[in-house]
Amino acid sequence: MIITKKHLSRRTLLRGLGTALALPLLDAMQPAMLPAAATAGASAPTRLAFTYIPNGVNYAHWRPSGVGSGYQLSRILKPLEKFREDMLVLTGLDIHNGNALGDGGGDHARAGASYLTGIHCKKTTGADIQGGISADQIAARAMTTRLTSLELGCEDSRTVGNCDSGFSCAYTNSISWRSPTMPMPPETNPRVVFERLFGADNLKVDDATRARRTLLRTSILDTVAERSRQLMGSVGPSDKRKLDEYMTGVREVERRIQSSEADSGRFQPAIEAPAGVPVDFAEYAKLMFDLQILAFQADLTRVSTFMIGREGSVRTYGEIGVPDPHHPITHHQNRPDFLEKVSKINEFHVQLYSYFLDRMKAAQDGDGSLFDHSLLVYGGGLCDPNRHQHENVPTLLLGKGNGKIRGGRHVVYPDGTPLTNLYMTLLDHMNVRPDSIGDSTGKLDYLAGV
Amino acid sequence: MRPLLILLAVSSALAAPPGEFEKTVLPFLASNCQSCHNSKLKTADLDVSAFLTVESVSAATPAWTKILQKIRTGEMPPKGLPRPDSAQSAAVAKWIETEFEREARLAKPDPGRITARRLNRAEYNNTVRDLLGVDFRPADDFPQDDSVFGFDNIADTLSLSPVLMEKYMVAAEKISRIALFGAPPSKPLVERYQPPYREYELSQTPQFDYDRTGLSMPQSLHWMHRFPVDAEYLIRIVPEGRRPTGSAPVEMGVWLDGKLVRTLDVDAPVEGNTLDLFGMAREFRMRIPAGEHWLAGTVLHIYEGLPKSYNGPNPSDLPEPPVPDISRFLRIAPGTSEAEAARLRKEAQLKIALLRAPANRAYIHYMEVMGPYDPVPGPSAESLKHVFLCGHRDGRHTESCTRTIVAGLARRAFRRPVSEQETAPYLKLAALARQQGGSFNDGIATALQALLVSPDFLFRIEKDRTQTKSGAPGVPVDQHELASRLSYFLWSSMPDEELLRAADQNRLRQPAVLAAQVRRMLQDERASALVDNFAGQWLELRRLESAVPDRDKFPQFEEYLRISMGKETELFFRNLMREDRSVLELLDAKYTFLNQRLAEFYGIPGVKGPEFRKVDLAGTRRGGILTQASVLTVSSYATRTSPVLRGKWVLENLLNAPPPPPPPNVPPLEETKAGTSASLRQVMEAHRANALCASCHSKMDPLGFGLENFNAIGEWRDKDGAFPVDSSGVLPDGRTFQGPAELKSILLQNKGAFADSITEKMLTYALGRGLERFDRPAVEQITAKLAAGDYRFSALVTAIVESLPFEMRRPK
Repeated sequence: MIITKKHLSRRTLLRGLGTALALPLLDAMQPAMLPAAATAGASAPTRLAFTYIPNGVNYAHWRPSGVGSGYQLSRILKPLEKFREDMLVLTGLDIHNGNALGDGGGDHARAGASYLTGIHCKKTTGADIQGGISADQIAARAMTTRLTSLELGCEDSRTVGNCDSGFSCAYTNSISWRSPTMPMPPETNPRVVFERLFGADNLKVDDATRARRTLLRTSILDTVAERSRQLMGSVGPSDKRKLDEYMTGVREVERRIQSSEADSGRFQPAIEAPAGVPVDFAEYAKLMFDLQILAFQADLTRVSTFMIGREGSVRTYGEIGVPDPHHPITHHQNRPDFLEKVSKINEFHVQLYSYFLDRMKAAQDGDGSLFDHSLLVYGGGLCDPNRHQHENVPTLLLGKGNGKIRGGRHVVYPDGTPLTNLYMTLLDHMNVRPDSIGDSTGKLDYLAGV
Repeated sequence: MRPLLILLAVSSALAAPPGEFEKTVLPFLASNCQSCHNSKLKTADLDVSAFLTVESVSAATPAWTKILQKIRTGEMPPKGLPRPDSAQSAAVAKWIETEFEREARLAKPDPGRITARRLNRAEYNNTVRDLLGVDFRPADDFPQDDSVFGFDNIADTLSLSPVLMEKYMVAAEKISRIALFGAPPSKPLVERYQPPYREYELSQTPQFDYDRTGLSMPQSLHWMHRFPVDAEYLIRIVPEGRRPTGSAPVEMGVWLDGKLVRTLDVDAPVEGNTLDLFGMAREFRMRIPAGEHWLAGTVLHIYEGLPKSYNGPNPSDLPEPPVPDISRFLRIAPGTSEAEAARLRKEAQLKIALLRAPANRAYIHYMEVMGPYDPVPGPSAESLKHVFLCGHRDGRHTESCTRTIVAGLARRAFRRPVSEQETAPYLKLAALARQQGGSFNDGIATALQALLVSPDFLFRIEKDRTQTKSGAPGVPVDQHELASRLSYFLWSSMPDEELLRAADQNRLRQPAVLAAQVRRMLQDERASALVDNFAGQWLELRRLESAVPDRDKFPQFEEYLRISMGKETELFFRNLMREDRSVLELLDAKYTFLNQRLAEFYGIPGVKGPEFRKVDLAGTRRGGILTQASVLTVSSYATRTSPVLRGKWVLENLLNAPPPPPPPNVPPLEETKAGTSASLRQVMEAHRANALCASCHSKMDPLGFGLENFNAIGEWRDKDGAFPVDSSGVLPDGRTFQGPAELKSILLQNKGAFADSITEKMLTYALGRGLERFDRPAVEQITAKLAAGDYRFSALVTAIVESLPFEMRRPK
């Protein structure tokens, strides 16, 4: 979350956490974390990452022309040109349960809630929310990494009340659902994500600086320990007790500095600890992508979901010439100026995604790159937002999935093919094999070739 | 160790009239206690058969304290055994108490000894601020300090865990870098405040008499935001909801500390017959000084600028969309009866009416603060002034400056003179940093970092001294220790230069100097720490911040009201301190401090606008802290008032008579009945029918009943659910009262109990230790001086500062 106060003041929070708020603070005090993939001989695990875009797309500018390997990239997908041979554009996948089915409005809520679950969520604004278990969470259940999954987002929102025509905000805010009644709200503050992964204040410093800092810290601790030994001799018993606590603390900090110095194999995150939510949106989104990559590299998790915006997002994009809130302009009524703006936002998101893909390719992982060992899905729960269309939703699949995927094609599936069939196949590649996911009818063909 | 023999001799010489102990107490113990607590069984390690004389009370005080407590609560004898007659129990309890008091009066005066006190979070923040002129509250990240005796500055409980030691290391590094090099450059960040979904009544009819600022309306948003540095910030305000088509643009107001700093228009897009405000963000930049500020976003004059057809004030002159043609909502098949057609017509009209947008459905959805932009770079002039005591400008230091600077910092950080030998290790660290390639300032920063984790900084350690003057009650603490005692009491911070100098010159103990310092310190801005930390904890006001009154039952309770409630009591107490008024005004005063929100909540007319001002309370039902919404809220449950909680609050905080904890196995209150089948009072009176409960509840409940006219968030009420409020009460001593005003005048009749209470609380806070029986004479002296000084605030503080336990320390 962006640091919202929400009636929970900082003081309350601190009080609540109390002394449980512990651990590692000094940058030299990280627990050892060896990326599993770095251990010799082991084959790299397959990672699964979903990236969600809200409010559908300008479909005319999304769909490539031609099918199969000879297809032409569309305007919106142009930024992914260099990944063309590693990418599958999947057309014709439907989320039937996103439709009204008698519930009236609320398409954005249903788009979010059904995207990874394939379930028609219950219309309610109360606490009695009811969705389904999402594909990422089915995969997460089989994981043994420190975090079984990571849920990230770039837009904080209220989590109670009515967000879309009588539907709970939980539906628009979370694509990830641990159980039908337990949405996994995305964490939107990069600082909090970083601390969850690596502890607080993990600064990026070079070895020489680290060594110098360690020397000074150790000397400081020696100095004050000596001073408290002197004091010990001249104070009464109750003061001695206090100084004892102090000495124990000093020794403990010294011990941790030494043990982490001795530990050479620990994982060094390649970025500085974020201080909070950057104002610049591109920087913010890239940071959230970086955090996923770090979590994969350190093998802290193998499954992630990332909502570039919550469904129904009203973010404005002044930096690319779209100062209007996103959601209202997606009701474009086929006005060319509105459609143009929608396309610009869609392109922008794809550009940001290409940053992620670049970094995934650059990230060494075992005998290859993270990209080689990942299944990366990009898309959203709406096609044409003006009509709130839940069929033919925009879907890309990237990454080589440990050799399970053959890209370079535009695949068009018959009408009515559930999107959840894609997830059945992806989970199969993760060695997770549920009987079904939401409305799935089987696995999806043609991902490894025709 | 106290010389026991002398004490025994003294007490027997002046023993209570012979016979009382033998006549009343011994037989009571023999018949009620001895069957288990005898020399053979020694149940609970207690043998009452050994207590044969009055002297045994002073010889075995802890055992007698326990006996007293068990008799008072009725916990003993255990269930199933015959109960002693309650008059008999009371007589025995009374005797023990009297004996304790007599002992206390006879005992040799003892100032007690205060354990080395670790700086708590507030003290750490303030000390760093005053030491280095950097105010970024580093201790806010430290674990919460535990509190006992109602305060979080009690030496014995302020522990130092390894986790905290790590935090100290990190904080020291950060503080010293900021002091010497300025805050590290940080990219602007976003912080969002978004309150929970607010439900309020939508209205089709505009109002004429309402809060045009919008500050007290449910559409507004309020929070206390901490701005990390002096810089420019971007503030974004985002509305939600709808306005009727044909309305003038909505005006949003952004407020900083109660002042309107910006007005922003929203001309929203048309969607049918409404204008959709959702996501129509507006933003602006402004320079804001570092520190905590009250930010608010409001919809200004919400009932203005509506279409003419709404008949509101200052309507819009924009064209309105035509009223939809009824035929679009009406289909009357041929042959429909006239009655049925009329019904359908009515139905269609209703549909059209429902399409009409409400007059007030526009609200502030969220606000964001982005920044800092263009912060003042480098270290602040203030911190350089505090650090570079050599008098040179930054960058022009000579080698001898290191010594001057480090010695100066050490003196102030340790709050006392520091020898050369003591500074040597810190100078060595500065040299080491430079050997490692650091600059002059890096060297200073390293020494400073060490000073900040030294036990001399983190603790206030008072030296144990041997008795020099025979017959003196204790050893005076030294001048610098006294200066720290003063400054941490009144400022929760280190002594300033003036205090240190007075201590250096050995003048602080001169009565005139001491009194003048107290007066000066109470007028200083830093004395607001006494309001925050003493009053905030004594009156339990800190709990207001986390109070969560039930949203369904108290929809009026929102952030603005919460902030206003806290502000009232804070200003009230601050004024009392600043103007040196009588502390009895805490019980009843003819004035308070209100803004419009709180005045309307109290039903007091004529207070307009968000600023707080002194308001005359003549002719109202309010006056004194017991009628302030803050106190009434923290002494209630989320869903209802609790006469027990409030009674306990009064007993503990105002009358110095804390009730004992409830005995085990008390039957719970049948709360569900309250307000439906019986009033809360009736339910509670049924509870008190149980004799075991009655002994304490007869003291607590009436005090709480007297405040029943105030609901759980302090609003006046005449009814509790379906039942009229009965705020009458009978105190255990037989005095009766009708309603809160009479209850207050009863409390005022007993000035002694209140004076005793505020004295014990403030002395506990000032000393940082729990009071002991041997402190009783000191307390009595302070209360006597307080009464002699017309109960003025400064009389209390001065009496405490001059008291034995504050000035002295038990010898080694």
